[in-house]
Amino acid sequence: MDTNNDTAKDRISRIDSYGFERPDGFDYASYEDFYSRYMTVLTRRAMKWSKMMQKSTAVEKGIKVKRYIRKGIPDEHRPHVWMMVSGAQAQMETNPGYYHSVLLEGQKNTKLVDAVVTDLNRTFPDNVKFRKNASPCLQLTLHNVLVAYGQHNKTVGYCQGMNFITGILILVTKDEEKAFWLLDALLGRILPDYYSPEMMGLKTDQEVLGVLVKMKIPAVAELIDRHDVMWTLLVSRWFICLFIDVLPIETVLRIWDCLFYEGSKILFRVALTLIKQYQAYILEAKNFPDVCDKFKDITKGKFVTECHLFMQVQ
Amino acid sequence: MAKQYDVLFRLLLIGDSGVGKTCLLCRFTDNEFHPSHISTIGVDFKMKTIDVDGIKVRIQIWDTAGQERYQTITKQYYRRAQGIFLVYDITSERSYQHIMKWASDVDEYAPDGVQKILIGNKADEEHKRQVGKHQGMKLAEEYGMDFYETSACTNYNIKESFTRLTELVLMAHRKELDGLRLASNDELNLAELEEDGRKADGTANSKSCWC
Repeated sequence: MDTNNDTAKDRISRIDSYGFERPDGFDYASYEDFYSRYMTVLTRRAMKWSKMMQKSTAVEKGIKVKRYIRKGIPDEHRPHVWMMVSGAQAQMETNPGYYHSVLLEGQKNTKLVDAVVTDLNRTFPDNVKFRKNASPCLQLTLHNVLVAYGQHNKTVGYCQGMNFITGILILVTKDEEKAFWLLDALLGRILPDYYSPEMMGLKTDQEVLGVLVKMKIPAVAELIDRHDVMWTLLVSRWFICLFIDVLPIETVLRIWDCLFYEGSKILFRVALTLIKQYQAYILEAKNFPDVCDKFKDITKGKFVTECHLFMQVQ
Repeated sequence: MAKQYDVLFRLLLIGDSGVGKTCLLCRFTDNEFHPSHISTIGVDFKMKTIDVDGIKVRIQIWDTAGQERYQTITKQYYRRAQGIFLVYDITSERSYQHIMKWASDVDEYAPDGVQKILIGNKADEEHKRQVGKHQGMKLAEEYGMDFYETSACTNYNIKESFTRLTELVLMAHRKELDGLRLASNDELNLAELEEDGRKADGTANSKSCWC
């Protein structure tokens, strides 16, 4: 097994295509096995998408587009499709020049700038494109988008967690202004009140998850109740960071494909799928820290890496 | 089977965003220091067992997001703590000023009798210092707290400050501990004892609450 992993390690880059360093203990052998199969899926999906996009790039909502999105948007079409289905494209077109003017204004807001700067070095330190010495350095792009957004949506301003979301938007779109408008679509329309000062949307959704678990996976709900574990401790990162740094990047992007099209219900589906899949394992927990550890463990491994299969279960 | 510990309790780290709470914790529990790690989202915790005067103490240390709005989540954890670290950054005057606000939150949300100590972190960054050591001492004195300047980076005063807060909690619960010595086969779970007490008073929050 180890030799397998070592030879796979020679073939697979230590840094993934988005710039993230693979963590210590990364299972290269099973990743290679997964990726060789996933490549076939990606190629097939890319052909189907190209054919559809040749007819029209409008990506109008409908049963076919929904099905296509569920099966994954190819990398080359992802920025465009996210922009179209989320309404970000329309916003950007109706407000030419807005991004740059709001950025200029925001740069004068010292309190906002300070809050953003505190987190620049703490956003994806494991991603080579976000290092201080990277060229171009995405820290600057990140800074700009967050400052502009904080100025644009003064109620929200800057909230920790937005740095990770914006970072992914920048990696995917490679475009500052598009990242801004996608952030606006997410925070303003798709996940309202997640990051506002009272975080009501976030708290509500976590509570709703608790109720759903009680209905659908009562044994787990009972366990959590018995050990007096707070849902916020188990799933805050899932909701606040929309699974970034929780699940593997390919899986996160597949979830976000659905998030932009279908909205936040996909977050519940993913959470429930994870808990259900690992119900027996979670139920082995004997005390409070055990429960927390199990909830961290279930976000790793084959089940979540196989993103295509994982999304089909949803 | 031998007991894994004699006493279990919870400590909490609070203070402004970026003062180094997570770094203090990683240094103490794993003896690691990462100059760049990700910002803490919500709440997390680590465990460590230490020996204080022959008592095996299992501590659960809660690390919280420092940004103000996360308090809507993190304040729910105050009531579960027996000891609290109030942390500022010696290179940030503002983080020192905010200790006042953190202390008043502790008064409001933490149980009576919770033990507190004040920490001025990043003591290795002398060239960037904005808060004098005497200022830290003075503030600690006003609040009746012990005070340590620490550096997670150089591993300065880390073990000392964690051990001190642990001792303070042990002292505050001396009565229960004496009971423990009599019935030495039992483990003492301070965290649960206090929560059970509150439940009996009928003041505990409903369990279906999201907190």
